[in-house]
Amino acid sequence: MEMTLRPTITQQNWRQEMLETARYEVDRRRRGTVVLTAGISLVAVFFIALYPSFQTADIDIDQMIEAWPPAMREAFGLVTLASIEGFLAVELYNFVWVIVLGLYFAYLAAGLIADDIEGDRMDLLCSLPVSRTRVLFEKFAALVVPILAVNVVVGSLVYAGTIAIGEPIGPLGLVMVHLLSIPYLLSCAAIGLIFSVRFNRGDVAKRAAIAAIFALYLLDSIAGSVEEISVVQSLTPSGYYDPTAILVQETYAIEDAAVLLVATAAVLVGARVLFVRRDL
Amino acid sequence: MHPIEASGLTKTYGSVLGVDSLSFHVESGEVFGFLGPNGAGKTTFIRLLLGLISPTSGTAAVLGADVREEAALIEAKRRVGYLPANLGFDPGATGEDVLDYHGAVKGDSRRQDLLAMFSPPIDRPIREYSTGNKQMLGLVQAFMHDPDLVIMDEPTSGLDPLKQERFHEFIRAERDRGTTVFFSSHVLSEVRRVCDRVGILREGSLVALEDIDTLLAQGGKRVHLRASEDVHDRVRSLDGVFDLDTVGHELHFTYAGGYNELLKRLASFEILDIEITEPPLEDVFMHYYGDDTETDDHATKLEAGDA
Repeated sequence: MEMTLRPTITQQNWRQEMLETARYEVDRRRRGTVVLTAGISLVAVFFIALYPSFQTADIDIDQMIEAWPPAMREAFGLVTLASIEGFLAVELYNFVWVIVLGLYFAYLAAGLIADDIEGDRMDLLCSLPVSRTRVLFEKFAALVVPILAVNVVVGSLVYAGTIAIGEPIGPLGLVMVHLLSIPYLLSCAAIGLIFSVRFNRGDVAKRAAIAAIFALYLLDSIAGSVEEISVVQSLTPSGYYDPTAILVQETYAIEDAAVLLVATAAVLVGARVLFVRRDL
Repeated sequence: MHPIEASGLTKTYGSVLGVDSLSFHVESGEVFGFLGPNGAGKTTFIRLLLGLISPTSGTAAVLGADVREEAALIEAKRRVGYLPANLGFDPGATGEDVLDYHGAVKGDSRRQDLLAMFSPPIDRPIREYSTGNKQMLGLVQAFMHDPDLVIMDEPTSGLDPLKQERFHEFIRAERDRGTTVFFSSHVLSEVRRVCDRVGILREGSLVALEDIDTLLAQGGKRVHLRASEDVHDRVRSLDGVFDLDTVGHELHFTYAGGYNELLKRLASFEILDIEITEPPLEDVFMHYYGDDTETDDHATKLEAGDA
């Protein structure tokens, strides 16, 4: 009897232990994910609703853009506001995705470890029969859920919304602008995670992560408009995700996304080394 | 194989010493009390055992697994329960969420029994919990996978006296089931009531490792007697008498010799009343802590509890 039972039990244990920590973290973040998705959805609806009045306005908006300083145009990815693609690339994707969500996921990741240490939860967590590597990576993996949720929900909403206002957005570009944002957001989160394993206080780690992502974004913007230092762009995550290029020029830089994924993996390996070696 | 075995275990934080070359073991199936004032290194030792911090030198083994070997220690942790001194839970999670998670990772075969004994409101979010409720949730998770070894850091802090008593009873029953229990405490009465053996930690070093009975015996007996005449000198001349206090015909003293010698001497005069008791554990403690002024105020921080 026992002989026949044993393999089943082992198998069941094994399966149960897979991703339990990630599952628990996803559950803990459920409310945050819903609020985030709802909030960004509202912003998207607002911009889409705004677009018709933009178009009918009796001015040549693109001529106005031409008059803007090049650095400004570079920073906001401004090419054209005269098409729904150009408009959303600037207002929704360059602003909300690159800046707001980039900062937000770096902020979330920065809390993953540091918050648990500060809240006295890490001792108990690391007393479980789970390796630190697994704790770290499963916590990080749990961020994939809000990243996917906000992309799928808002992406669908944008598609439906642009149809509703009679300015349907190109579906391939839309899919790509969301798909290629995933490596970008993961890389921002990985940077946040480095701060999380380095600092014992959640708010310190989060502030440092936000400052780092914002500094990298500014660096990318400046480097984008100054020829001599344009190489610096290749050191910033936002240098590898360009919503305007995707939506307006319809160029899909798959290799840039691959660079981000490789960089994310490298940063995660670094975070793991720091986390496994440190005293908690 | 001993459930816990420390050999030369040392942890320093920069120039600050956490624990200093601890070498001792905990026997299988015993309740071991790790006693010392706050700051003596009890928590540091426990966190070393769980691999939360790594030793500066020396090592320890938990259920045979070297604490420096993560993979081996993880296997051992399946059979270890842990209750930390500072117990943190996600404030937004319910007790049930936490137990579900812990159960999925390490098992929860005894969860229902334990919840009947310790009764945290598991369907409420933990942010609403009192300290005592959190502590009870901590106890449930520590024991629910039926571990062979349970390590607890100040387990009764925050429990009301009734729950403390239930806890002590529970620990004794656990020992009878064969579970090895290691817990730290600065509450002497508690250690005395439930422990088989005690290790006393002072400034990171182990200063005593004794059966609780031996420890108490070392402190001698407290003798209180009332005689019909002045017997002060006759008692004082007996070997093993110290701390003699005399008020009229009443005498208080500590006696560290054999009973027969004491009784022979006492038989030579008329005794109206006599009481021989164990010394309070604090007195025993002062024996280890009281010999230099620097540690005197450490020792005074020890709580006598309700012994």
